[in-house]
Amino acid sequence: MKLISRVGSISFKLSALYLGLFLVSFLAIGIAVYMLTTQTLEQQLKNSIEMEVNRLKTEYDSGGIAELADEINEVDGKGSRSLLEYGVIQGNGTLIAGSFSGFKNFAGWQTVTQSAKANKVGNTFLYVRVIALSNNIWLGVAHNGETIQNAGAAIIRAFIWGFVLVIFLGAMGGLYLSRAFLRKIQSITTSTQAIIAGDLKHRLPVSKNRDELDELAFLLNRMLDKIGLLLENIQQVSNDIAHDLRTPISHLKFRLEDTLTKNLTAEQYPERIAFAIEEVDSILDTFSAMLRISQIESGSRRSGFKTVNLSAIVVSVIDALQPVAEEQGKAIRVDIDQDVTLTGDKELLTQLVFNLLDNAILHTPCNTQIQVSLRLSDAHIEWVVADNGSGIAEVYHQKVFQRFYRLEQSRTTPGNGLGLSIVAAIVALHEGSLTLFDNKPGLKVVLQLSSQ
Amino acid sequence: MKILITEDDHETLTYVSAGLQQAGHIVDSAKDGYEGLFLAKEGDYDLLVVDRMLPGLDGLSLVKMLRSAGCNIPVLFLTTMCGIDDRVEGLNAGADDYLVKPFAFSELSARVNALLRRPRESVEQKILQVAGLEIDLLKRAVRRSGQLIDLQPTEYRLLEYLLRHAGQIVTRTMLLESVWDFHFDPKTNIVETHISRLRAKLNTGNKSDLIHTVRGAGYLIHEAN
Repeated sequence: MKLISRVGSISFKLSALYLGLFLVSFLAIGIAVYMLTTQTLEQQLKNSIEMEVNRLKTEYDSGGIAELADEINEVDGKGSRSLLEYGVIQGNGTLIAGSFSGFKNFAGWQTVTQSAKANKVGNTFLYVRVIALSNNIWLGVAHNGETIQNAGAAIIRAFIWGFVLVIFLGAMGGLYLSRAFLRKIQSITTSTQAIIAGDLKHRLPVSKNRDELDELAFLLNRMLDKIGLLLENIQQVSNDIAHDLRTPISHLKFRLEDTLTKNLTAEQYPERIAFAIEEVDSILDTFSAMLRISQIESGSRRSGFKTVNLSAIVVSVIDALQPVAEEQGKAIRVDIDQDVTLTGDKELLTQLVFNLLDNAILHTPCNTQIQVSLRLSDAHIEWVVADNGSGIAEVYHQKVFQRFYRLEQSRTTPGNGLGLSIVAAIVALHEGSLTLFDNKPGLKVVLQLSSQ
Repeated sequence: MKILITEDDHETLTYVSAGLQQAGHIVDSAKDGYEGLFLAKEGDYDLLVVDRMLPGLDGLSLVKMLRSAGCNIPVLFLTTMCGIDDRVEGLNAGADDYLVKPFAFSELSARVNALLRRPRESVEQKILQVAGLEIDLLKRAVRRSGQLIDLQPTEYRLLEYLLRHAGQIVTRTMLLESVWDFHFDPKTNIVETHISRLRAKLNTGNKSDLIHTVRGAGYLIHEAN
């Protein structure tokens, strides 16, 4: 398992490739050295043979065959230090002078294989230079090629050893590198497994080397941080949902149990059922508000952004809410710039404007004056809803945007504590800002958007 | 009327089809998109109720394919509550109306009736008239028993919508969508408040109520009997 993972590892593959390339070039160099050396040696040998042949030819030319035979006997005789072998043959192969007759009767270079001598292993061969003297008489001068063969063999041996050494060192180096690399990957894998197992606080190790792997680990850690934050958010929301929905669901359960156990008259049942449906509806409303918030927060609606006339939206929202305000004895004073446009989601902006004004109507006492204004200056949109009602203490100005948060004073009014969370999500989607101010008395809500 | 419901959720299917059958419609059902498309093309239906999420062919593609095949049967699109983008997509695909799950049956029934009564080739009417109430659509003038009634623009739109759907129940959500273009659920009683103002104006001079409240469903204007 471990070996397989190492053999399959990228670093091993890389070092194997490197080793392979190295061996190929090593082999090429070996062949080149071998060829060059043997060729040079052969050339030298041939040169010396050629010189001797030329010398003997001169002898022959001046003194005929007798002179040549004498000369050959002198240099080829016993105790001679010459490594050369000589022979003069007639056309039929009969040796006339010298001792070497293993060549053919044609002019040029010949190679003659010599079977193994007693003290040598393997065959050697002779380089023979043959020239025609005259009258079908041939002179051959030979030299043993043993030195060249030995040199070649030595080179091959040296390279074979070198080859083995390179393979060994390369493989060891590759394995070492692979191990070092794998150790890093292994530590990342271990950390990842720990994270998968549930330790979400765990982070990948980042060494001081700042190499590519560290860079990657660093980025992955940042990603984990972000995911962690989102997860915390989700956990928070789930807790909120659990808390907020427990109450209506338990109420529902009590009522239903009560309905089941008590002996009710047939007329009383529809009323109980209607209540139960109402309760379920409010739970469903909370769910759909939650889903709406999370969908707005996901930013997917940004793709459907169009140019929206905010003035028209504000007018239609005021038109819808004015009678409601009047019914509750509240007056809305309106001051709107015409044709204020921005790029956004019409449906959501309508809900945003609606929720802000609706809140002002819903959460203020009777006879409250509500002042709304929409202003545009330098691509800067400001939508203000101000009232002279009871206001919100400054410490709660941030809290009211939290999901399910409800002020003590509004616990009795209908709602799920998600209205302003939806508002906050819509504002964030449109990259705007929403601020609460103390209107002394009352509350002033300022929404700022960019008309771009 | 003959209605085809394409819906894979058994509970919803039973709930919807039982209700529609009780209301006197002939109801067929398809469990997946391809079956729905096949039946819609083959059967002679007056209305299709199509769920957004379907096995095989999804609801959106079903409606698109149906429309591109030149079929203009009214389609009511059902979406889940998390799919707030579905509405726009559904209407763009060629659906005539949409409804977000979970819905009350009364809401579905009202929308089904509205779609069934929708004239296929709408002849532009100039005057709407119900039970002595008359709107001149060109002059935007409202008369009851010959007497001119002055209405605010919103009140006029509200009344026009009710009269266009005379004899049918119109739900609160339908009014919010068509009169104000609000596609969310305001907890405030906007519709109730505006309706009561409109009623008051229509009923000046101790006349009988024309706009009837149907409990748990919506509002209704019809010829008095």
